[in-house]
Amino acid sequence: MSVPTIIVHGGARTFEPDLKEVVKDGVRAAARQGYDHLIGSGNAMDAVVEAVSAMEDNMVFNAGHGSMLNLNGDVEMDAIVIDGRNLASGAVCGLQGCANPVQVARLVMEKTKHCLLTADGARAFMKSQGIQPIPNRELVTQKAVVEFETYKKYSTAVEKVMLSRSIPPVTSDCDTVGAVAIDGNGNVAAATSTGGITAKLPGRVGDSCIIGSGAYADNAVGAVSTTGLGESIMRVCLARRIAELLEKGETADQASKHALDFMSKRVGGTAGVIVISAAGVSGTARVAHHFTTTNMVWAAISNGYMRWGIDPDQEESSELKA
Amino acid sequence: MFEPTIIVHGGCGKISPDMKEIAIEGVKTAACRGHTTLTRGGSAVDAVVEAVTTLENNPEFNAGHGSVLNRKGEVEMDACVIDGQTLASGGVCGLRGCANPIQVARLVMEKTAHCLLTGQGARDFMESQGIHPVADSELITPRGRARLEKVLKSAFPVKEATESQSSGPSALPGCDTVGAVAMDAHGNLATATSTGGIIAKLPGRVGDSPIIGSGGYADSDVGAVSTTGDGESIMKVCLARRVAEYLEKGESIRQAAEHALEFMSNRVGGEAGIIALSRGGEGGKCQVGCHFTSDNMPWAVVSNGKMTWGIDHGQELSSPLEGE
Repeated sequence: MSVPTIIVHGGARTFEPDLKEVVKDGVRAAARQGYDHLIGSGNAMDAVVEAVSAMEDNMVFNAGHGSMLNLNGDVEMDAIVIDGRNLASGAVCGLQGCANPVQVARLVMEKTKHCLLTADGARAFMKSQGIQPIPNRELVTQKAVVEFETYKKYSTAVEKVMLSRSIPPVTSDCDTVGAVAIDGNGNVAAATSTGGITAKLPGRVGDSCIIGSGAYADNAVGAVSTTGLGESIMRVCLARRIAELLEKGETADQASKHALDFMSKRVGGTAGVIVISAAGVSGTARVAHHFTTTNMVWAAISNGYMRWGIDPDQEESSELKA
Repeated sequence: MFEPTIIVHGGCGKISPDMKEIAIEGVKTAACRGHTTLTRGGSAVDAVVEAVTTLENNPEFNAGHGSVLNRKGEVEMDACVIDGQTLASGGVCGLRGCANPIQVARLVMEKTAHCLLTGQGARDFMESQGIHPVADSELITPRGRARLEKVLKSAFPVKEATESQSSGPSALPGCDTVGAVAMDAHGNLATATSTGGIIAKLPGRVGDSPIIGSGGYADSDVGAVSTTGDGESIMKVCLARRVAEYLEKGESIRQAAEHALEFMSNRVGGEAGIIALSRGGEGGKCQVGCHFTSDNMPWAVVSNGKMTWGIDHGQELSSPLEGE
């Protein structure tokens, strides 16, 4: 048996000072909503889907409503859920016209025998489940438009430079959202959702919908959600790499740092991770977060206590109010 | 200097006796072409793309021309290439109207800052690179149509469509996903995988083949892997990355492949096949091998003037390579 625990992140990037309070409020609210489900239904999957849905609905995060725009000015989203009990998974990529991609990802897991649906096929499946597509404009925020316009001006100048494989894409936004949880029965789950990179090539799929990259979960090991430079994360299978290190006996904290260090040295790029390691031999699940970006906004709740942060080696905490 | 080596596979499943020779000829031809690329100074990436292109052009295999059809009778393809030197990668998923998805995957790797493109975006990118779309009719074979009709007519079309192609009487025996891994004269490794997916799949279904860590993995310091089989099972356990992980722990190619397939079978079920190679053999040679839990997997290795191949369990035939 385990102590129900949830940790969420709202992205790893450089947050402007005037955004910090609002994103901290966002992850705290999402963690609370997820935790209430964890205690209520006692189900880790419900908890992570609830937490990520809350952040998809929150315009300040780059997922669902508030997603960044691709080069055509459209919203294309990627999302995933993984159930640590049986490694069942559902995901979508290049999904348009959807307010809560993480919920469609869950339906892929529960209603099909597949793990990943893309683009038009994902949209048709969503409709078949009774979720009506919504116009792109309902998901677009002023902030996303401003980011898009700024990026397009900048990218014209560095276009040729970006084509070099040795230089990762210059972006201002890598703020995918995610959540991992462990419930009272020791079941773990992970969920991740994103609108992707500002002004991405239409059809670009990042790590967020990929088992082993954007997320990983296995009751025997733990659960992971990642955020950051998607291409770097994919190239090293960051989430699976953390799971491997946990299997080798590293703590959640050690595994997080070790994997991000490897990624930085092997392929470059920065990222952030949240991890819950399974109870295992020690009998206690551990929760950790680590990031190599300037910031990562996160919040964790366990044992009636909430911790949260955004800057490196910085943390606030308080007892959970009823 | 390293001994240039390539191994290719033509998918795992149940291959009927009358198809076996065709399958073996197909993988041998692809392996030869890939090896020629290596001996002429090509990189591991050049070689695996050449080998997989050869199999995509061969209508007997479920990739490019000859791809199986989705539920709507359309061809949607997934492919991925990984350069083990830099871990650079390019992939496409849900790509339509393309004769050689592996070449588009390579362009994704070389011409964009991304690793994976999907759907219409992938198609638009393909066209931006000067590759004109082809009609589905150019990619669909009579066998492809027949397989789809058989599945759709079966009593439980939804169930059959999502089961492994190798299971059940409704599946017409044939070759499947294709892949290749290679080591070049500099000791660099690469992997490439390409597929049309599952017969009668839900439109938009993406399997393991374009996913780094599932359908393929390559790191010159560790090894290169390509997988085929029950895509969802492969994805859930990150099969290709798992093989690499076991190689890092010091297991041999054979041990790592068996270990990974055993884990998959026990944890999530399903059948699969693996080809892999790594540096570290004596005298600049590499370790190379394969393992599969389906009935068959056609495979061929070319290295050091010799070709080795098989299709049944425990089968390994070889002959000297005729002059290249």
